[in-house]
Amino acid sequence: MCPIAMAPAAGTGPEAGFRGVIRVSFGTAAVPAAEGSAGMAGHDVRFDAADREALASLIAVLEQARVGVRLILAGPPADVAAAAAAAAACGLLEEEVTLLANESGRRLVFCAHCRTANTTVQGVGSEVDCEGCATTLAFSGHFSRRIGGYLGFAAHAEEAA
Amino acid sequence: MTATALQAKVHPAVEGGLLLEVADLSVQTASVTSITFTDPAGTALPGYVPGSHLVVQYGDGANAYSLTGSGRHPSEYTISVLRVDDGAGGSLAMHRLAVGDLVRVSHPRSAFAPVATARHHLLIAAGIGITPMLSHARAAAERDSEATLVYVYRPGQGAHVQQARELLGPALAECTDRGSFQEELTRRLTDQKLGTHLYLCGPAAFMDTVLARARELGWPQGRLHSEPFGAAELDQGEPFTVNLARSGVTLEVPAGISLLEALENAGKGVPNMCRKGVCGECSLQVLRGAPLHRDLYLSEQEKSANTTMMCCVSRSLDQELELDL
Repeated sequence: MCPIAMAPAAGTGPEAGFRGVIRVSFGTAAVPAAEGSAGMAGHDVRFDAADREALASLIAVLEQARVGVRLILAGPPADVAAAAAAAAACGLLEEEVTLLANESGRRLVFCAHCRTANTTVQGVGSEVDCEGCATTLAFSGHFSRRIGGYLGFAAHAEEAA
Repeated sequence: MTATALQAKVHPAVEGGLLLEVADLSVQTASVTSITFTDPAGTALPGYVPGSHLVVQYGDGANAYSLTGSGRHPSEYTISVLRVDDGAGGSLAMHRLAVGDLVRVSHPRSAFAPVATARHHLLIAAGIGITPMLSHARAAAERDSEATLVYVYRPGQGAHVQQARELLGPALAECTDRGSFQEELTRRLTDQKLGTHLYLCGPAAFMDTVLARARELGWPQGRLHSEPFGAAELDQGEPFTVNLARSGVTLEVPAGISLLEALENAGKGVPNMCRKGVCGECSLQVLRGAPLHRDLYLSEQEKSANTTMMCCVSRSLDQELELDL
């Protein structure tokens, strides 16, 4: 189910019943104009980041759309993953969504101990100090599409104290 | 059918199944009759997933029919059978059944389940294709999930129309001519909220048309679900030879006999269910030779790899096939 459905702010959404391509970019990312738009109407949306407000407005756009629509998400990995999770919750299938995440940029590391979502620009395999419980987390490659982030767990936990 | 018919060999498709009694017959239209089966001892029957079918034996043959109930705690199984006068005889045998007759049936088999995450179910049925849709519509009503049914039938020949009206109310659209159906179809395919899944059952040509239109309008494969009951009649095929590599046995498969039947006759039976190239249960590994794929289960890519085949319908392009069996 769509977590939050808000009426779209006047003038921001495509017309009701839209079945074209919705191109969403976060930050300075740009969706290549040719991407996935073969003969389909396009609707462009730009957000600074995939924060609560941006996701609510994306969901509102998706609620107005109809089956046949395609979604393209471009930007930092954390933002693309968060938007992809919201789209999946709205009922979009993987084959309807194109993810164009930057190779580097912010990612979410979800703390297994206190459930804080930490944002970091480091990569998989590095260590991140949790903002919630100060545990030094091993940034693992386990990725949750629902959460849109990676699993972080206490690094060095198995080493002799 | 009588006790005499029951003494016939148990068809492999209903082996390990149930022995049920005809409890009720109800004429739906001039050519469609509903048949209700119950356990002769009066016990409850196994539940089933909406859209499931039941294989029912008649004489030496067996046919699959969609169950029309929701599948939740069933005390009876009901199927509706369209009489096909020039078919293999299964539907005629079903129409000859009388209350009190005993029949061998399989356990219900699910090959057309609703998608659990769907936010809306768009059901499209033509003719006798209404049967699995009744099951879906009933299940949706019980589970409080949303469903719409578009039902195409010839005037005066709509089986279960009354039940569909009672179940769905305004969520039922009835079409009795091609033109109005095309309009209705386009309207439905262009106005579904995200998360809608489409379920389709009817004659093969009808399903091809609807699926092609849906794809044209941007519906991805993952949203399209069809029950290919009207699988086109397959020809007898050419005879060929199979080499069973592990058992060192060579078998001849004559024209008109399926590879599955040839294996069963030689005591080399393999697990199987639908016996019409739909369920994927009788898949075999091919070691050498090119199969003539005639199933609806493998993807085009899997077919062209020539490493797997469905032995119930597929045959051989080469004189000889070698199987991992």
